Amino acid sequence: MMLRPIRWLLRLFPWMISVILRNGQNVITAFVQIWANKGRSILTTLGIIIAVTSIIAVVSFVQGFGNFITDMVRGYGTQFMVVRPYTPPERYRAGLGRVTLDLSDIEAVRVECDALSRLTPFVYTGEAEVVYGSEKAEGVPMRGVTEDYQTIRNFYVDAGRFFGPVDVETAAHVVVLGRTLLKSLQCDESIIGEYVYIGGARFRVIGLLQRKGSFGPEDQDETIMVPYTTAIKLYPDLRKSIPFLVEADGEGNIDKAYGQITRVLRRRHSLQAGQPDDFRIDRQDQMVRQFERVKTVASSILAGIVSISLVVGGVGIMNIMLVSVTERTREIGLRKSVGGRRRDILLQFLTEAVVLCTIGGLIGVGFGFAISYLASLHPNMVELDTPWWSVALALAFSAGAGVIFGIIPAFKAAVIHPIDAMRHE
Amino acid sequence: MGDTNGALIELIGLEKTYRVGTEIVRALRGVTVSIHENEYVAIMGPSGSGKSTLMNIVGCLDIPTGGTFNLRGKDVSKLSQSRLARIRGRQIGFVFQSFELLPRTTALKNVQLPLLYAQVSHQRKRALAALERVSLSDRAKHRPNQLSGGQKQRVAIARALAQEPDIILADEPTGNLDSETGEEIMTIFDSLHADGQTIIIVTHEESIAARCRRVIRLKDGLIESDERRGDSLPQAEVSRAVSLAAS
Ligand SMILES: Nc1ncnc2c1ncn2[C@@H]1O[C@H](COP(=O)(O)OP(=O)(O)OP(=O)(O)O)[C@@H](O)[C@H]1O
Ligand SMILES: [Mg+2]
Repeated sequence: MMLRPIRWLLRLFPWMISVILRNGQNVITAFVQIWANKGRSILTTLGIIIAVTSIIAVVSFVQGFGNFITDMVRGYGTQFMVVRPYTPPERYRAGLGRVTLDLSDIEAVRVECDALSRLTPFVYTGEAEVVYGSEKAEGVPMRGVTEDYQTIRNFYVDAGRFFGPVDVETAAHVVVLGRTLLKSLQCDESIIGEYVYIGGARFRVIGLLQRKGSFGPEDQDETIMVPYTTAIKLYPDLRKSIPFLVEADGEGNIDKAYGQITRVLRRRHSLQAGQPDDFRIDRQDQMVRQFERVKTVASSILAGIVSISLVVGGVGIMNIMLVSVTERTREIGLRKSVGGRRRDILLQFLTEAVVLCTIGGLIGVGFGFAISYLASLHPNMVELDTPWWSVALALAFSAGAGVIFGIIPAFKAAVIHPIDAMRHE
Repeated sequence: MGDTNGALIELIGLEKTYRVGTEIVRALRGVTVSIHENEYVAIMGPSGSGKSTLMNIVGCLDIPTGGTFNLRGKDVSKLSQSRLARIRGRQIGFVFQSFELLPRTTALKNVQLPLLYAQVSHQRKRALAALERVSLSDRAKHRPNQLSGGQKQRVAIARALAQEPDIILADEPTGNLDSETGEEIMTIFDSLHADGQTIIIVTHEESIAARCRRVIRLKDGLIESDERRGDSLPQAEVSRAVSLAAS
């Protein structure tokens, strides 16, 4: 689709370069011409400059965010799945009762699915209130989980300890704090062993989570974790709708685990053959694949936008080249009278268009890097990444635009009759 | 080399007709003439008589609409565009009334231009030698806007010489110059002729025509007169006379 002309241009580029370099005099002439009309040349290439600046900037952003998400997804491992209650669209819903997912479902999955290595319920509220002495943090995300959560999400404590099976069994009032909480509660690591109040109940702080940083707008360190049993006691409304996380026992067991969970839950929810699932299983491995697809779509859209702006830039080049050919009619006549062939004239003007566009491209690459750099100064920005291929692509695109939009003016110059040219005023 | 009498240029019944809208302009109406090597020819005639048209055809910049043009016995009208360009580059040297130097380009680079298109070797050396012949070696690095009119025309002559062409065609080369500078330019042509160069000059000035060995007058696209100056025979005829005398 979109990629074919891109590949074609990329292959054309080295050829163009070699032809141009074999006719170095044309390049010199082109620079002399462009330099002689500095102001006009800059204005002419503005379209190309803007197009290339946007290629570099946008690719840097897409790559930067892409890398960030890929790293994060890799960090979770691909054996990990999220199972959550799901209400199908209305027209499929006939005959379904209330959509629920409760602890008995989760227990059944734990017992019956042997393709799983780990499992944790995930009792979540984004509205916990934490009080420590006179300090208070509101709207804190709280996760009610088991000790397996650490391994599944790759999120460990680095001070104190995480809660264990006994804490979960007894619904102990123990809590692990994310690093941001230290700031909101105006305290340091000495809070371990102290007590805080969550939703009015007293909890002992037993550990602090390692720092994770932000994921987009979400601060991953702004969280607290308690045993899920305790969380359900604290927020009884959540007990009918509990998502859970599982980890398949090895890469090869992902499909098997998926099938087992589906079977167990459908049976327990008494779903008939034609009825849709009333739950959803998000597979990490599919998420990775889906993400790759999103990246491809994003690149295609990017390529589309860029080719539009390059067309605009290219038309500018064509316009000014046509003017230039008319202005230099006498020069063309002279060149022909001293032995210049049509192809010599054609190549000369084509070279000029390509040089003009490539200069625009280089300036655009510079601006693109500058914009990426300025953006990266913002504290919440992910690390931007400008891959070499985007620079090569941008330059090939602009040189290609030079070829495509230079060909008409160059042809016009080549076919000028020498006599008419010498008579031109 | 064809059927010719050894002429460098042979025109037989040459015609050139322009069509402007519905109107037909017959710029040349049957010109027949031969020009040999080392001739020094002036072409004269009133404005609009077809002098430039004739020069352009002889210089392979234009093609006739009738008649024949043989260059070294070869019919030029049958050649392709790129063959014509090749002839212009290697066999013809043009000198124009308005110099036609590339601006922003040094004298040397201007002189090098035909060599560039011909892709010959030692371009710089040849260009410098050509500048030497018009006594402008010291202006090689100058740009046209740093040169006087006469110097510009000398650079243009050097450019015409660079490829050591068979013929130099000059269309009113002194037309844009004062008489003193024109004299200077003509001195160069005289010395080129003395070195054996074939030269055709279009001019309106009798004083210039007087320096040439042959004057062809055009009128309304036809040759009105074609006179040779007996006092100085073309080199070839001199040598023939010498060899005849020796036998
Ligand atoms: N491209 C053209 N289209 C139409 N008519 C033309 C063209 N070129 C020349 N002519 C006509 O052909 C005739 C001869 O023109 P030419 O330029 O050869 O004259 P000339 O002898 O060089 O005149 P001058 O001394 O003024 O330079 C003129 O009548 C001119 O109007
Ligand atoms: Mg004329």
